[in-house]
Amino acid sequence: MKYGKLQLAAIAATAILFTATINGDPLSAAGKHSGGHGHGAAKSQGHGGGHGSGHGHGGGHHTFDFGEPGKASDVTREIKVVMKDNLYEPEEISVKAGETIRFKIVNEGEFLHEFGIATAAMHAAHQKQMAVMMEHGMIEAHRINYERMKMDHGAGGHMMNHDDPNSVLVEPGKSAEIIWKFAKTADLEFACNIPGHYESGMVGPIKVD
Amino acid sequence: MTRTLASCLGGSLLGVLLATAAGAGEYNLTVDPITVETADFSRPGIGYNGASPGPVLRFKEGEDVTINVTNNLSESTSIHWHGLILPYQQDGVPGISYAGIESGETFTYRFPIVQSGTYWFHSHTGFQEPDGAYGAIVIEPMKREPFRYHRDYVIQLTDAHPHPGRQIMRNLKMMADYYNRKQRTVFDFFRDSEKMGFDAAVADRKAWGEMRMTPTDIEDLQGYTPLINGKTPSQNWTGLFKPGERIRLRFINSSAMSYFDIRIPGLKMTVVQADGQNVRPVPVDEFRIAVAETYDVIVRPREDKAFTIFAESMGRTAYGRGTLAPREGMSAPIPEMREPPLLTMADMGMAHGDHGGMAHGGASHKMPDGSMMKGESHAGHGAEMHKMPDGSTMKGSAHTGHGSVTHRMADGSMMKGMDHSAHGGPAKKEDPFYAAGSGIRPTAANGGKFLSYTDLKAHKPLYPLRPATREIEMRLTGNMERYTWSINGVKYADAEPVRLKYGERVRFKFVNETMMTHPMHLHGMWSIVDNGSGKFNPIKHVVSVSPGTTVYMETEVDAPGQWAFHCHLSYHADSGMFRKIVVEGGPKKEGS
Repeated sequence: MKYGKLQLAAIAATAILFTATINGDPLSAAGKHSGGHGHGAAKSQGHGGGHGSGHGHGGGHHTFDFGEPGKASDVTREIKVVMKDNLYEPEEISVKAGETIRFKIVNEGEFLHEFGIATAAMHAAHQKQMAVMMEHGMIEAHRINYERMKMDHGAGGHMMNHDDPNSVLVEPGKSAEIIWKFAKTADLEFACNIPGHYESGMVGPIKVD
Repeated sequence: MTRTLASCLGGSLLGVLLATAAGAGEYNLTVDPITVETADFSRPGIGYNGASPGPVLRFKEGEDVTINVTNNLSESTSIHWHGLILPYQQDGVPGISYAGIESGETFTYRFPIVQSGTYWFHSHTGFQEPDGAYGAIVIEPMKREPFRYHRDYVIQLTDAHPHPGRQIMRNLKMMADYYNRKQRTVFDFFRDSEKMGFDAAVADRKAWGEMRMTPTDIEDLQGYTPLINGKTPSQNWTGLFKPGERIRLRFINSSAMSYFDIRIPGLKMTVVQADGQNVRPVPVDEFRIAVAETYDVIVRPREDKAFTIFAESMGRTAYGRGTLAPREGMSAPIPEMREPPLLTMADMGMAHGDHGGMAHGGASHKMPDGSMMKGESHAGHGAEMHKMPDGSTMKGSAHTGHGSVTHRMADGSMMKGMDHSAHGGPAKKEDPFYAAGSGIRPTAANGGKFLSYTDLKAHKPLYPLRPATREIEMRLTGNMERYTWSINGVKYADAEPVRLKYGERVRFKFVNETMMTHPMHLHGMWSIVDNGSGKFNPIKHVVSVSPGTTVYMETEVDAPGQWAFHCHLSYHADSGMFRKIVVEGGPKKEGS
């Protein structure tokens, strides 16, 4: 599960994404969760493969082989993505290799949705994490439960923050943005990994020319 | 969406063409004598447009349909549009909606289509439905659905029996265990004595005897051949796909008597609709479909290989089988059936008495909306904790030590609290829709996720949440030995109608005092199942009530006229577990 490691390795880079979506209360960084949970190993076994894939955080490394968070000054194009229940408009996205895109993401649905850029395999791994987060009440159908995000780490979810640079959770009626620089290659998808959403078709291809 | 369904349903293709040839919104059905043939038997039966199952009727939400039904039988008939909301005169129940359709007559149904999703239709006369008189309804929605798929297939299940329905009813009346091949023997008794001691085994037998039931009373009709879209397991109904496509499977259980546990080894199924209504998508490995329910699931086979659709009967006496494959003629392994389950004392309702003192959780965990069901489910929780030596310590501590369980209740999501307390252990979460310690509560064959009613949450609630104006208790009762089934101890023939008032919201309390599972079906109005989801409680047309459980559902009484309400097991309904519901007041619709 090397993508998991990559994903979680990128935690430090989060703030840019989440401040956009959250009223105050930005998601706490991973370091905040490190104290007082020495029993994590015993507890975490119940979560199967749900998490535990990436404890290699803290490196501040957030480059994927398919791209990396872009700089605002490099943005050449903006793409608006509307999220509804449970679909995206547009249904597919085309970009050019090397291009830096500002994705303006608006949730016009009544449910919490994600916009994530990754390979199908990465999305599949992320779905397992999201299922655990849902189970723990860290995310609910309509909202992010910030309280629980913070407190649930004792139950083994301490690495479960949703704060990858290539993905953003957007609550109903809110909007967010991701600036992403696309490298060459890769079969990419934009997808929502909230349980059942990807499976119901909330996924589209990103064509990188 | 690819509409390739009809061509894959073999005989029903003709039916679809005939049905649509009459022009937009007009459909023609004939009710015909046919022969039902399986590898095991051949008997006279009843079909629509010359076939069983009948055609798939494809309607559009918002259209006004006209359906001409011609009765070519030598007896009277009827068609009920199961799950459709329509004027009561169009509902097709002889003696309640209308007089029925006499031999040689044509009756014209006219009603607007006000919903979308997967439903079905069947005769509501005698035992014509078990004899083959059923078909599917697929209604295309006006708005885009909250899911996407490349193609869809109806998967209509039935339990085709070698005997005609009338004969089955006679035999059941004569000897209730006529069709129960899983009777316990004296050898089982010796085995039980070894396990539980002689006295306990005697006491156990005595208790069952007094109930006039046996632990194997899970399916009172056995010896049938499950069919998928009219095909036997060896005929292997096959739906084609291209790897990577999302396929919507519209499961309909049109059986007379049989529940099925459904799985597709190798594929996760995402449940997107229950009884035609959108639910928040739930990925599962397996689900149980009660008689007359429908579930729509989305699967996405990515590999270029075949997958088996495996429908194992709840009592594990038979299975239905079909295949999803990239090409015709392919097949995948057929799993072995699992061991038949046995009902337990909990299913008998004894657990309540035994563990009355354990019900401490009930009161303190009452939901803010005052719903009693969750209280009971917690009482059950206590009982199960007590019963499970391996799980009890952990669960017990989670229960007492977890302020968050109670805390969680406040936001209306009781089951999450449960998940939380059980997360460290095996999947032994409580399911309030089965008696604690029930022998028939299912688990997934692969150890994964088995759908529960508690997972069903309305995608967009059809009705706002409001307190019920009153409660009506319906005890589901019966005497297995005499094969009489009733409500509150009174069979249909002796019962007064249940009177409801237009505009009220009635809370029905179903207390299952029998050892069988009853799929309760209210015509004409939605059944809002209280599964602890508050305003997101799912709306259904069939509510399955397991033995030893109490289930609540609410109904917004918004349809004037008179309606049927009954257990959808054909032989239970016929023997008296049936009521007429009269809705008093409300607007008079002109011309209807």
